[in-house]
Amino acid sequence: MLKFDIQKSFVNQQTGSSYRLHFKADINLSGVCAIFGDSGAGKTTLLRCLIGLEACAGEIEFQQQAWLSDKTQTLVPVEKRRIGVVFQEPRLFPHLNVQQNLQLAVNKAVNRLFTIEQLANQLGFSELLTYQTTQLSGGQKQRIAIARALLTAPQLLVMDEPLSSLDQKSKQLLLPFIKEVSQQIPILYITHSEQELFYLSRHMLLINDGVIEAAGEPQQLFLNSDLSLIKLAHQGLILTVSVKHYDHDESLVKGCLDGQNLYISADSAPLHQQLQVKINSRDVIVALQPIQGSSLLNCLSAIVVDVSIDHQKAVILTLQLASQHIYAYITLRSFNTLQLAVGSQVFAHVKTMSIIN
Amino acid sequence: MLSAGDLQAIWLTLKLAGITTLLLMIVAPPLAWWLARSQASIRPLVESLVALPLILPPTVLGFYLLIAFSPDHFLGRWWLTFNEQSLAFSFSGLVIASIIYSLPFVVQPLQSAFVHLDKRYLEVSATLGYGKYERLYKIIFPMLLPSFIIAGALGFAHTIGEFGVVLMIGGNIPGETQVLSIQLFDHVESLQYGQAHQLSLILLAFSISLLVVIYGFLQKRQQRILSA
Repeated sequence: MLKFDIQKSFVNQQTGSSYRLHFKADINLSGVCAIFGDSGAGKTTLLRCLIGLEACAGEIEFQQQAWLSDKTQTLVPVEKRRIGVVFQEPRLFPHLNVQQNLQLAVNKAVNRLFTIEQLANQLGFSELLTYQTTQLSGGQKQRIAIARALLTAPQLLVMDEPLSSLDQKSKQLLLPFIKEVSQQIPILYITHSEQELFYLSRHMLLINDGVIEAAGEPQQLFLNSDLSLIKLAHQGLILTVSVKHYDHDESLVKGCLDGQNLYISADSAPLHQQLQVKINSRDVIVALQPIQGSSLLNCLSAIVVDVSIDHQKAVILTLQLASQHIYAYITLRSFNTLQLAVGSQVFAHVKTMSIIN
Repeated sequence: MLSAGDLQAIWLTLKLAGITTLLLMIVAPPLAWWLARSQASIRPLVESLVALPLILPPTVLGFYLLIAFSPDHFLGRWWLTFNEQSLAFSFSGLVIASIIYSLPFVVQPLQSAFVHLDKRYLEVSATLGYGKYERLYKIIFPMLLPSFIIAGALGFAHTIGEFGVVLMIGGNIPGETQVLSIQLFDHVESLQYGQAHQLSLILLAFSISLLVVIYGFLQKRQQRILSA
């Protein structure tokens, strides 16, 4: 359990105006808790306060240990909080080689959760141990930085957009690894990427303008039209599809989305049983009957559960399949012609969708 | 060949420079760290005092030290409460004077390294579990080793070349305060140019080799980092 109620004020030196951050939450830590929000919303400041790198006022409590308390005048220094930190950039020490960088973390660890050899194998840098860190690529450095954070045997792992500057290949390696680690060590994970958010986390904090706007399951928050997130969500939602079969001749995945069949183009057979798929709300065609004799592959039966009209005379329909939802973006004219309302039974035809893991 | 007096002067000079450098490497890093990081209003004054030997004629410094070391004044009197020999005209006096005189040459390279030190490395060290002082001695100082080597070498070389201060407070006592530069001055005064040449050449060769070794080491390290 991580409980915090912290405040921090910034004063702009030039204008004299002040800006205040106030974060309050009780997080039941298990797996990955994602911290999501726009740039400048205060995500990194929140994490730095929790780590202890940034001074702030208030209370922080982790598993019954008080890390910060104004009431009892407690302030546990960074090095005593036992938090493993992966920063946005690797921050390896330039005067040490890879092995020595990792050894620094091992020397201070109170117990052995991992060994250097084990992590080197798993993250594929065994042959790099004797290299100087200046000889490595960005992706290699970040893998080593992640290993270093784990070697401190932390009670909490904190990651600040660790994959944001990495290539697709490194992400493909690291995402499943991070998910696996989160079974052992709870993770707080800042991200900008919906893909990472939906893949990794069952719980998220939505940060907006210096406060925690909402906390909960990503799938739920993306459907809540009261939140700042909705602008982003309306562009399209991420759904989980279970894979049934891959057809090599047609390069097509046959999957199942809430009990309905779905075909997705893919160059190769998917590696996992579950696929994350993003359906763009503008790629959804809504019809009252299934469309016959067209090139459309996917037709999903759905119920309209919410209607919102945006200022551009367009309508965003929230369509419920069973447990999952998609958004459809249609013109006001189509909306009126079809006489849609909450509760209408429709057929959603999906033109294209993209696999994101 | 070198006379016994010359050899004694060389040994004394190396001893003085060695002890001075050792003590400076203990005193200077915390001082340089404070100068690089402190926001205190007294900081510019302290920084000026440290830098003073750079611009002050060594004889001025030597003159004031001579007065301070005399038993009539506080420092000299305090010294005599637990020492038989007075500070003036003693080897211990030379060490104290050399520390003051060479201080800016050691503090400034370190201070500059600490000012340019990326704060992010300190943060990482803390998250790896290293405490306030431990992170400096175990991680940051080794990382800045080239600056420490330059600082130490400059302190050492500068102490070897010391003349004016020694002349004022040390006098010319063989085996106690007669260092190389004074011995050389003596030879020239007494028109023993042959011996003066020998000592000069030794000093010159030594200084050049020291600098070449140090800059060579630094270049190797730099190449390793740049070859990425």
